[in-house]
Parts: sequence; structure tokens; C-alpha cells
Amino acid sequence: MSIITSIAEIFQTSGFAALSWQNWVMIAIAFVLLYLAIVKKFEPLLLLPIAFGMLLVNVYPEIMYDPLSIATPGGEVLDASAHWYDSGVLRLIYCGVKSSIFPCLIFMGVGAMTDFGPLLANPSSLLLGAAAQLGIYVAFLIAIVIPEFRIGNFVFDGFTAQEAASIAIIGGADGPTAIYLTGKLASHLLGPIAVAAYSYMALIPLIQPPIMKLLTTKKEREIKMDQLRTVSKAEKIIFPIVVTVLCVLIIPSTAPLIGMLMLGNLFKESGVTDRLSDTAQNALCNIVTIMLGVTVGATAEGKTFLDIKTILVIVIGLIAFAFSTAGGVLFGKLMNVITKGKVNPLIGSAGVSAVPMAARVSQVEGRKYNPSNFLLMHAMGPNVAGVIGSAVAAGFLLLTFQ
Amino acid sequence: MYLLKYADGVITFPEALNVSITGIVVVMLILALLAVLVLLLSKAIRAVEGAAKKKAPKEEAVEAVPTATGVALPDGQSAGKLDLVNVDDKTAAVIMAIVSNESGIPLNRLQFNSIKKIEE
Repeated sequence: MSIITSIAEIFQTSGFAALSWQNWVMIAIAFVLLYLAIVKKFEPLLLLPIAFGMLLVNVYPEIMYDPLSIATPGGEVLDASAHWYDSGVLRLIYCGVKSSIFPCLIFMGVGAMTDFGPLLANPSSLLLGAAAQLGIYVAFLIAIVIPEFRIGNFVFDGFTAQEAASIAIIGGADGPTAIYLTGKLASHLLGPIAVAAYSYMALIPLIQPPIMKLLTTKKEREIKMDQLRTVSKAEKIIFPIVVTVLCVLIIPSTAPLIGMLMLGNLFKESGVTDRLSDTAQNALCNIVTIMLGVTVGATAEGKTFLDIKTILVIVIGLIAFAFSTAGGVLFGKLMNVITKGKVNPLIGSAGVSAVPMAARVSQVEGRKYNPSNFLLMHAMGPNVAGVIGSAVAAGFLLLTFQ
Repeated sequence: MYLLKYADGVITFPEALNVSITGIVVVMLILALLAVLVLLLSKAIRAVEGAAKKKAPKEEAVEAVPTATGVALPDGQSAGKLDLVNVDDKTAAVIMAIVSNESGIPLNRLQFNSIKKIEE
């Protein structure tokens, strides 16, 4: 065997020969996302692992290989000797996403990090968190009405109700909830939906301010809100228990998300499980974030990701975000009228989960128009209410379409 | 039950509209119910805690920090009780000013309970 033949054979087995143009496009997108995460610092804790997972799967698609997925239409595995442990390493870790373990554990970490004090001090902020779920239902309708069409080789045959519901949940601006619902209803869309959800969450400081400005007057934006009352420890301890019982009894399918969120919060507030609280909000949450981020990114393999549906997911996701922001701000205006000018409508936009980014946007925008304004704690109420609201919305969609 | 009939993925626009309206109403109702419950619970807990405070000795009531009520003082003013442990007044003032500056919260909205020097 000559050296040239050997080199030719090595080249044929290398990624350079095996990869398709779609893989190369995705590699380029992964580079852009890595740039946004590292240089622009857009949600780097999530965007970096997602981008790297995307890069890995497109350089080496076998890393997500699943031998058990090669089956007859009847579900019979073609290779009788195939075993789960023959799967690509990221495919094995991905089981945590498919089984909803990772999103639920992340929710526990989020619960352990969340202070529901501002919400307890002002319970009406729960309504802002509910109003800011408007985008979910608007996006659902948009996804349903898009007709079938064809552009060149790309054929779009419409979204099913399950796909529409999964896309719509991007409007909840809550990554784990989006992954949880999509994993249950339309797991083939997990890649685009997760990437869209986290990308838009990272871009909240760019998406929300123009909508907030458009829907409010200068006078409304300048409103100073009264200081919140002090919340007692007993209230903070009882709250997660009450929320769990109420939400799960009304919509049982919210149990995994709400249950884990409130368990994490009870770890924090009870004061008797400091070690568990510390583990949930630091070590465990970080470990799960790494595994969830990398494997979700790894679902974006070029040949399946670069599709007309992905583009539609990204467009509808943006619309969902915009309507959720608008829903929160408009309800904030309504509360401002009802309370005779005591509520600054800018805090309504924080109702789209994305804790604490959305609350920070309210604070920054408020100070632009009144430097002595301090809206952060007022916006944290709707912000954490949005987490509960999006979990309830996801539970409703799950109940309806699973 | 209508909730189960979309399992095949097929849904018409009127049905989707129905689901959307139902969905937003359900979220609103649950969170409104939660808000009412929180309000009632808070009132009950504060009533119990208030009753417990009344029973406590009078001396403790005298020592209550004025800003603990959560009411913001007028701009430029501050008040309350602060325990300094191995820290002089000047250092304490500098620490409070730094905390206020870093957090962006005016001093009249912050409450310091104690500042303690940690020996290395």
C-alpha cells in the first residue's frame, strides 16, 4: 500500500469527507454562538455548552448515534445485537433530557436560588406573571394557522398541535419548561426550540425595551413605587407548600416542574437544610446545566436541524417573546389605572420568567426615565411569578395535547 | 373530554382559539387564586406574629428598630440601631457607603443590623 493510498483512505474516513454542507453551516453557527457566549457574555453558562454540543455533533455526528433507533416502522430494532451502551456518549447523557430529569433538577436549583419575598410582599404581581404568558397562546395560534408550502426542496407540511404547543412555550421565556414540554410533546423539535428559547432569553435586553417604550407613556415610566413590606420567615416557608398543593391539585401535570421548583425553595427557606440548598443551587445545578446544555446543543445536527421548521420556530419564538412582554406591560398599565398610578407598568415585562434578566431590564429602563427610581425588587415579584405561570401554562398544554 | 381529542395532532383554528382562550384563563385563574391565598395567609401570619409580639416584654418593644417597619425615610436621612463589634464609627460609615454604592440602593432604604470585624 503506497503512502498516497493510505493518506487517501485516511481522508475518506475523516470528517472532511463525511460531513455534509448542513454540518458545515451548523459549525459556523456554533462559532457565532460561542462568540456571543464568550465575548458578548450572552447567557454564557447555557449558551457556551449548547454551542459546544452543537459543534461536537456536527464535527462528529456519531456522538449522538442511537443504534436502537434504526428500526422497522413497527418498532423492531434491525440490529439484534444492538445495545443501549453502543450509543454515542452524548446520546446516553441525553437520556436525562428525554426523561425530563434534567429540566426538573434545574428547576429545583432555580427554586433554591429564588427569593419569593417580593412576590409575597405584593401578591398582585402574580397576575402580571400570568398576563405575561400571553405570547404562548398567540404563538400557538400563529403556528396552527401557517399553511402548508414548498420552497425548492424544502417542504413544510404544517405544524401538528403538539409541535405548535412546544413552539408556543418559548413565549414563557423559561428554558427548562420549554425543554420539559417539548421533550414530552415534540422531542424532534428539541434542538431548535431550546436554541431559540435560550437565545431569546439572552437577547431580552435587546428585545424588551422597544416594546416597553412603545406601550407606555413617559409619565408612566417615571412612576416611583412604594417600598415593599418586610416578609416574615413563616410566610416564605408556607408559600412553597401552598403553591405545590394548589397547583398540582388543579393541574396534576405541573407536579414535576412546580414540585421540584418549590422543593428547592423550601430547602432554602426552611433554614434547616442548608447543605441541601447549597448543593441544589450550586453543585447539582451546575452539573445538570453542563449535561443539559451540551446534549441539547447536540440535538442540532445539520441534516435534521437545517429545516424550514427550524426557521419558523425561530420566527414564531420571537413573536411569542414580544407578545408575552406586551401582555405583561399592558396588564401593568391596567393595574396602574386600578391602583390610581401606584404601579409602574415597566415591571409587567418582567412577568416573562427569565429570572433575573427580565427584572433587570425593568430596573434599567425605569432608571433611564427617573434616575431615582428603583424598580428591581418590584419587578422581581412578576419575574418569579412568571416562572410559576409558565410552568402552569406548560402543564395545561401537556394536559391538552399529550 | 375535549382535552384528549387532539392526541392525533390535528386541530382546526376555532379549536386552537378555544384552547388558547381556555389556557390564558386557566393560568390567570390559578395565579389569581394563589394571590388571594397568599394575601389571606400573609394576613393570618402577621396577625399571629403581631399577637405574639404584644405578649413579649415591653423592653423588647422599646428596642425595636424604627426602619424595620419597611417605611423609607425621607431622602438624605437615616435612622435605626446598629451594632458595631470591633469596628469604629468611621470604618462602619465607609462600609455602609460602599454597600449602598455597589448595590445602587440609597442609604435611607438600607437597614444594617450589625457590622462585625472578622479576625484572621
